[in-house]
Amino acid sequence: MEDAQRRRTWLALTGPYALFLLFLLLVPFANVAVYSLHPYSPTKVFLPELTFANYLKIFDVYYLRLFGRTLRLGLITMAVCIVLGYPLAYFLARSRPRMQALCLFLLIMPLMVSAVIRVFGWIVILGRKGLVNQALLVFGLDPVRLLYNETAVVIGLVNVFIPFMVLPIMASIERIPPSLEEAAQNLGANWAQMFRRTILPLSVPGLLSGCLLVYSLSISAFVTPALLGNSRDRMVGQQVYDEVLVSFNWPSASSLALTLIALTGVLMFCALLATRRASRREAAS
Amino acid sequence: MSARRPRPLVPLVVATYVGLLAPLVVVIAVSFGPSAAFEFPPRGLTLHWFEAFFESQALVTSFFRVSLVVGVLAAVLATLLGTGAALGLVRFRFFGREALEAFFLAPLLVPEILLGAALYLFYARLAIPASVWTLLGGHLVICTPYVIRTVTAGLVGLDPRLEEAAMSLGATRVQAFFKVTLPLLRSSLLSGAIFAFIISFSDINLALFISGPQSTSLPVQIFSQIQWQGDPTIAAASSLQIVIIGVLILVVQRIFRLRLVT
Amino acid sequence: MSRRVELEVRDLTKRYSPLVSVGPISFEVHEGEFFSLLGPSGCGKTTTLRCIAGFETLSGGSIRVGGERLDDKPPHRRDVGLVFQNYALFPHLTVFDNVAFGLRLRRMSKVDIAERVDRILQLVDLARMTTRIPAQLSGGQQQRVAIARSLVLEPRILMFDEPLSNLDFKLRLQMREELRNLQRRLGKTSIYVTHDQTEALALSDRIAVLSQGRIEQIGTPEEIYERPTSAFVAEFIGSSNMLPVRIVERGSDLTLVETEGGLRLLCLAAGEATFDGAADIAALIRPERVHVEAPGGAAAPRENRVAARIADVTYLGEDLLLGLELNGGDRLRAAMKNANASRRLAAGQYIEIVIAAADLRLLRR
Repeated sequence: MEDAQRRRTWLALTGPYALFLLFLLLVPFANVAVYSLHPYSPTKVFLPELTFANYLKIFDVYYLRLFGRTLRLGLITMAVCIVLGYPLAYFLARSRPRMQALCLFLLIMPLMVSAVIRVFGWIVILGRKGLVNQALLVFGLDPVRLLYNETAVVIGLVNVFIPFMVLPIMASIERIPPSLEEAAQNLGANWAQMFRRTILPLSVPGLLSGCLLVYSLSISAFVTPALLGNSRDRMVGQQVYDEVLVSFNWPSASSLALTLIALTGVLMFCALLATRRASRREAAS
Repeated sequence: MSARRPRPLVPLVVATYVGLLAPLVVVIAVSFGPSAAFEFPPRGLTLHWFEAFFESQALVTSFFRVSLVVGVLAAVLATLLGTGAALGLVRFRFFGREALEAFFLAPLLVPEILLGAALYLFYARLAIPASVWTLLGGHLVICTPYVIRTVTAGLVGLDPRLEEAAMSLGATRVQAFFKVTLPLLRSSLLSGAIFAFIISFSDINLALFISGPQSTSLPVQIFSQIQWQGDPTIAAASSLQIVIIGVLILVVQRIFRLRLVT
Repeated sequence: MSRRVELEVRDLTKRYSPLVSVGPISFEVHEGEFFSLLGPSGCGKTTTLRCIAGFETLSGGSIRVGGERLDDKPPHRRDVGLVFQNYALFPHLTVFDNVAFGLRLRRMSKVDIAERVDRILQLVDLARMTTRIPAQLSGGQQQRVAIARSLVLEPRILMFDEPLSNLDFKLRLQMREELRNLQRRLGKTSIYVTHDQTEALALSDRIAVLSQGRIEQIGTPEEIYERPTSAFVAEFIGSSNMLPVRIVERGSDLTLVETEGGLRLLCLAAGEATFDGAADIAALIRPERVHVEAPGGAAAPRENRVAARIADVTYLGEDLLLGLELNGGDRLRAAMKNANASRRLAAGQYIEIVIAAADLRLLRR
């Protein structure tokens, strides 16, 4: 009875984690979905009747502005990450192994250190008595208010999420054999022409992946905008936190959360498709 | 590399790295400075804030009794869960394998803050008080996918004929697994475990929701102190965390050249 | 007829580290010539090619094309076409776009581009494939696109980096023929890098044999094969028997040498005085020049006749290889065509071998 035993082994191997995810991922989100469909009550968490009010509320001015601001800041972050991250990705992809290992370490390390710490560092740099203002004073300029506004938030988000732009692009460029660059040069292209006609089009899957990744991470960020931004110009993450832990309006928080998940889910799914299609095209060539 | 790089590339890359690493450098520098006002560059060198860290009940508890403990437990348990899941995915043929893989890796697609909120609401509904265990549970959700990824990559690169060779020499399937496959997976397991630890240790988004008064993790502690008190003691705590994480990543890079996020 | 020198490489040197370097290498390539750089991997042939193409900078020496210096120009401004080992076709472009790539950079008119691309694709017999992408082409077709892409720019020199090594055996022979016909038809000065000596012999007007970063010998295929100037060249090209010998007596046009087994053989006079007093001399005999005959014959003048025993026989269909043991212990390999074998040869038989003095060549090891 080999088959039965194999099936049992398989269940023993995958079962625990599957159950775990069931109870600590699916069920909590099902719970959230349930909450989102009931109206809010300050005394009883929520009332028993069903309603779509929590979702319709999203079309209120306040929430529309909230989402608009969040999506806009996400877009700006993504754009800055492209401008700064693409050259870094190209550099990494074409570096010698030891240099690449070092630079990858320097890129990944901040990623793994808690976002709180990195944001903390930015607070010190951007603060009123911080590094930037000290430098300005040296040049005889007035101190600038750099913290607790959208600029600071974007700086923080770019700082935290740029590795997610760099790594997919780097992987894409690494798959382009250097002989293609040499062939283009041999056919008369200078570096800029070679880049535009050869590297750029072939790195699009990685670029797409990175953009979608950075964007969805940015619009669902919390710690960075919470510490570097202000309460008035908040992002969706801050609103969710607020509604869950401060105002205890769990139904509203739930509808907000599910809306955000729907957005990021779609984006992540597209990113996945982009990478799948790219690897399939390469497998053919 | 033979393709000549454009000249502005290296300065731009250096500038980007400076921007990337500046906050960490600043934090470490501030933690050694004498001033309580987050001065950079620091005017002197002192270990005063590190002493203050070890004297601070709140910080020490969060570091050693919460973050470290949860981190190690998360590493061990995530490795066990994740290795089993990876083996089930790679070494068996069954209907819906891609779907199961997607399900197992789903936590990677969920914004952490929302997972935190969902878990909080879930625990609250079941009236489960926040504790080290609730934190551990949440961390296992986000850590295990990384273990699954590294172990899957390791398994895929492993020749299944090695186990067959062992069996042709008299080993049972189980023996072949423990004597051949597992040792060859050692680096995948180790790097997966280290990843799980790092992710658990530095997690803030989940911990903000499912930490409790007795189970505040270090990042949450730092978070609240940034908002309310703030003296360089938290810089000292941060520096310690930076060093620990940095060393662990170096270890991973050495034992196993792995792309951490693809 | 002396043809113009198209490419002149003088003292080309490339230093990778204090211990690893290529050169100095010097050679000339004439207009319309097919010139091969032949050698084992690591001998410096690819480095030399890449220096000419501009992907490596010289540590010393110079490269001139048509009299002008080439090595101070960046790679995209050298008029030298390069066909890469893995073809380096742009996977996201069609065949047409791949071939038109260089033309488009020169901002030719669309009409001109289309005309030239079509013409070159007809030349390489790919006229019907203009809209395909590289992934849809076979290995041989991809290679033709790579060649067309470089040729369409009408470079002064066309270079090939082991272009046939990725093809299977039959295809390789076919492409070899096509390559040679194409080059002959166009009269394009060509430099060909390969480790395959059969290819080099079949395709080239002249060959430069390289080893460990230096040129061992430059010559026509016949010169390289029949009159190698070093043991390396002798052993790298074709099969060889290298018998260690010492010089017994020098004559005006013949020299007498003695093998380790005590055999005395006549060979052509050494010529260079460098053999005097040298301890590491070997006599080269090509296996196909070892003639097998029945015992009992007489040696003609300028001929060596030696008794031998057949140690083993290898039947290869068209060819027959014999392992021979000579009196005194020396071992030789003989090769013959089975069609020429007058009787059945088997291991253990005693025979006599005839080697003409002219077929024994002295070399330093």
